[in-house]
Amino acid sequence: MDCYSFDRIISDYIDANLNVKLRQEANEHIEACPRCREKLADLKSILSKLSSMPTCKTRSDFESRLMDRINQTKEQKESRFIRMFQDYSRPISVVAAVMLLVATSIFVYTSVVIPNSPDSIPSAEIRSMEPNKSITPPATAIANVKPTLVNANNVGSLPDTNKVETQNYNNQIMMVNE
Amino acid sequence: MDREKIKYTDEELVKRFQEGDERAYIELVKRYKDRLLNFVYRYLNSFEQSEDVVQDTLMKLYTSAHMYREIAKFSTWIFTIAANLAKSELRRLKRRRVISIHSMGFDDKEYEIPSEDYDPAKETTSNYGEKQIQQAIDTLPDQFKTVIILREVQQLSYEEISQILGISIGTVKSRINRGRLRLQKLLKELKEQ
Repeated sequence: MDCYSFDRIISDYIDANLNVKLRQEANEHIEACPRCREKLADLKSILSKLSSMPTCKTRSDFESRLMDRINQTKEQKESRFIRMFQDYSRPISVVAAVMLLVATSIFVYTSVVIPNSPDSIPSAEIRSMEPNKSITPPATAIANVKPTLVNANNVGSLPDTNKVETQNYNNQIMMVNE
Repeated sequence: MDREKIKYTDEELVKRFQEGDERAYIELVKRYKDRLLNFVYRYLNSFEQSEDVVQDTLMKLYTSAHMYREIAKFSTWIFTIAANLAKSELRRLKRRRVISIHSMGFDDKEYEIPSEDYDPAKETTSNYGEKQIQQAIDTLPDQFKTVIILREVQQLSYEEISQILGISIGTVKSRINRGRLRLQKLLKELKEQ
């Protein structure tokens, strides 16, 4: 091992991180090289000094100052929220008022203006007063009729009240159409 | 709590704090304030600024504890925060020193305010004085400075340093080796002056 190689492993040598073979080579080099021997001893002394340097301590009021800062931050956060609410309360109320006005206008328009206009679809009462208009049975009525007819066919000769009702209903439609 | 706190690990304390127990936070502060101060002080070489950085670190713990996940050791996590804040502070201090030199007029005078801060250099006795060692640490490039402080002053393992700095163990080993040799060289130069 030469001095350059020893320089590269000097930390591992101090920390005892070398395998047996390398450690043996390093030991042989230290024995033979006074410069590296001195360098190793000097470095060891520096590291020992570093690790034993006196430790600092925080001042006695450190914790109370920290807690003050935390409380201050908490208060700031709360006041920021309140301030934000105060800052935005005016625009929020304006927007809410506008939305309410628009909603009311739409409601009034759909319930009063549209039904009275001539182009609008006539209401149920108006439709029933017009004699020439055909009346289509409501969807529910048709839905009720169809399955009963199928069932009546299956039963055969038994009298079926539903079938009669359906026929009556169809007659009514025909009469209205005439 | 006094009887209870002995059995809690750092990770358990953070968990309790995350669940809303503020006493756990105070216990963590007690455990870490001086350890962090020692690390930051060696890094910045200014007691006042270092204490501020430690306060900021512990404030960050208070506000961001929910971000801690138990995949890493708590000590690694808190040292990472402190290291980042210390780096920013050092950059800020360097900038400020440059500005103050530039802005000094002919009539301006810089007064050194006597400080009652702790000065480790006062206690030096051996070959290399602590002042010299601290001076050499200050002169070290940042990449060596951090690993040297974490390894030699804080006595952290290679693995912990690798986690704190987000670098591989191989890089940590290499930086420690080069940092130690650089420190030795700097100290020799300081001694010769």
